[in-house]
Amino acid sequence: MRTDRLAPQDVDPIVPLASSSILQHVAGTAACVTAVVLTAAHWSEVDSPLAAIMAIAFVVISAIAATVGTRPSRAPFTPERLWVVIVFSLGGAVAEYLSTVGNNQFVYDDFGPVVIGIMMVSVAPYCSWTTLLSGGVLSGAVLAVLVAGAPSDAWQDLPTAVVVLVFVAPTVVASSAAAGYSWAIVHITLAWQRKANQVLLQRDAELRAGLARSSDHGRVAVLRREVLPFLASMLTAERVSVTDAARARQLADALRSTLRDEIATTWLSDLAADLERRHGVPVEVVETDTAVAVLHDDQRAALAALLNWLAVDDRAASIRIDVTREDTELSRGRVVRISVEALFGAQPPARRAIERFAAVARALGLAAEVSTSRQNVTVEFRHGIS
Amino acid sequence: MTLGLPGDVSRDSVNRALVHAGHVGAWVYLGMGAVVAISLAIGGSPKGWIAAGLALLMAGTLSLVAVYRSVFWSVLYLVVGGGVTLVLTVFAMQSEHGLATTDNAVIAIPCIALLLVGGAGAGSVAASLWVVAAYAVGQVATYAGSVVSDSEYRVSTAATILALFIVVVRTVDGVTRHSGLRRQAALVRANVAAREATARRDHELEAITRLHDTAMEHLLAIASAGSGPIDDRLRADIRQDLSLLVGRDWVEQHSGGFGDASNAFDIADGTPVLDQAFATAADLGLDVKMTGDLAVLGLLGPHRATELDLAVAECLRNVARHAGVQEAEIILGNGGGEVTVAVMDVGAGFEPERVPAALRGLRVEVVERLERELGSARVWSAIGLGTTIVLTMPEGGA
Repeated sequence: MRTDRLAPQDVDPIVPLASSSILQHVAGTAACVTAVVLTAAHWSEVDSPLAAIMAIAFVVISAIAATVGTRPSRAPFTPERLWVVIVFSLGGAVAEYLSTVGNNQFVYDDFGPVVIGIMMVSVAPYCSWTTLLSGGVLSGAVLAVLVAGAPSDAWQDLPTAVVVLVFVAPTVVASSAAAGYSWAIVHITLAWQRKANQVLLQRDAELRAGLARSSDHGRVAVLRREVLPFLASMLTAERVSVTDAARARQLADALRSTLRDEIATTWLSDLAADLERRHGVPVEVVETDTAVAVLHDDQRAALAALLNWLAVDDRAASIRIDVTREDTELSRGRVVRISVEALFGAQPPARRAIERFAAVARALGLAAEVSTSRQNVTVEFRHGIS
Repeated sequence: MTLGLPGDVSRDSVNRALVHAGHVGAWVYLGMGAVVAISLAIGGSPKGWIAAGLALLMAGTLSLVAVYRSVFWSVLYLVVGGGVTLVLTVFAMQSEHGLATTDNAVIAIPCIALLLVGGAGAGSVAASLWVVAAYAVGQVATYAGSVVSDSEYRVSTAATILALFIVVVRTVDGVTRHSGLRRQAALVRANVAAREATARRDHELEAITRLHDTAMEHLLAIASAGSGPIDDRLRADIRQDLSLLVGRDWVEQHSGGFGDASNAFDIADGTPVLDQAFATAADLGLDVKMTGDLAVLGLLGPHRATELDLAVAECLRNVARHAGVQEAEIILGNGGGEVTVAVMDVGAGFEPERVPAALRGLRVEVVERLERELGSARVWSAIGLGTTIVLTMPEGGA
């Protein structure tokens, strides 16, 4: 995807979680308060109270649309939702215009452009800079048409261009600022990612080279310690004894069995073993299928983050992970189902905290469901595979 | 989708993005102000040209703040902005458009552009202080302008509301960033852990596959041959494959009988075992995971082994002091006539080019120590990703 189409939420799954619920509430409240206060302030100019009330109602709907549309459970926030927010905000501006048409003495106390600007700022973490700028420019154009066609004593001696610019300034400026924020976050994040990827690749290379140099292959090493000396002993032996033949058969069986086990397990087993070693929490992995290997790096990170979080600070007494592949009637055919079940430890986590990990996983393309009881929590991830 | 920024980087990055957003808003606002002034100038108000020039001067000064983000340039912008606000207030209030008070859309332009200074420093508190300072400068300048133009001063409603809005946004940003969510999820570090698990899995699978491919055929041949003399061809094949797998030297050493094939070395009495490093880790409460065989240190002369041990100890000390984690990993190995020790952590990390002090200790205690013995140290680190230091020491020596 081109960078000018990327929104902060596209490059950082934490954005929808960190920004949501506070920014939208604050901005929505600010927009509604602005509409009410400014309407009251210029009530003497209002010719149509119904239109004035409608204007406030549109602003309230716009604020609700922004708040609901940016909820983590409804992620991602699409450009279509932005246009819904803009349309209702513009509706408020138009209704306000109709409420005072012909009697508007000051453009300075009209809330329409300000409210649109506030709403644009509130959804900046969810939209690309181009979308925000387009929204701002189009909103500004509509506002310009409104104000240019509105006769008023207040600005009859000023050039129309001046009146238009002054009127649309709050919308255009706020939209530009929102676009600037979106642009900066995306570029800063991508720049860091480029740098981080270099370090990660170097780290991976060193790790793999180190493992190769170390001659340490975990479970394989044990077998290796037996197989290679046995074969070496055959180089100088004159004859193969019955014992040697039996030993060779036994080693061949062990080798075959180990290879089968290694193929049947995945990175998840190694991660679980590492968590168990470091935190002392039993982590059992039951993999009836190696489909977990199809998860891409980001999805693996989301799963690893949840497991690591559960394993520390006495949140879980034990963890069990079941990986299965299931046929579905979906277009993609099959899904890999990863069920993480944690028996609560001395400090059980709140469901809300676990939901955040599910939300991160959803942002990364994994379906995630959380269910809790008094004793345990189960987080089920599902990922479509072809 | 990428995994975004680690918590350590996020704070600074969001702050920079918010400041950039403010600057873009101010540039657009001042640009629109300049267009308004030019429109008025074309319409017969010559002072409009001066006003447009002043707006552009302010925008230019803000560009310097954007580039340098220092206290000096931030203060200069406030001074220039204050002057511009004063002059524009005089122009506006003396114009023929009959503005009743200083609380109007024209004077709001420089006042609001001042609020979007961003300013030097990071964090919500610093940003809010700059807003307060900018607001005060704007209102004092407006008041001075009203006195000069003999007009009624009134606080700018738009500037006041925007100042409050910025402070609220900054506070919200500070609160959400301190919620610990990003730290809690630790996605970037989890990514490193998952990649490490994947690398280990790949390596182990590769090792067993290679062992299987090499040894299985010979084991089955021996098993099926039963009691009797060994075929010379089978013996030659075994020799060739073992040489490929563990090296000709090892085959020569072990072809006489059973031994440990996981490495070519045995830990004899007096062989260094990184006792300094492990003692340091124990003292600092660091959990060290080791991969590889300590016996490779037997390839080093006693002095070199001790120097390598001390260098590893220093690396672990740095992990405990600076990385913010209690785990580190050591991978030991040998190859190409060198013994290699990689010390890895998934801690805070640092930017080598921006934290020279962090490298200074490393240089003295690690790099120079190894270089004296013809060894070397390579460092890779990034904020949020941890640090990898690879130490190499040539075999032999004193």
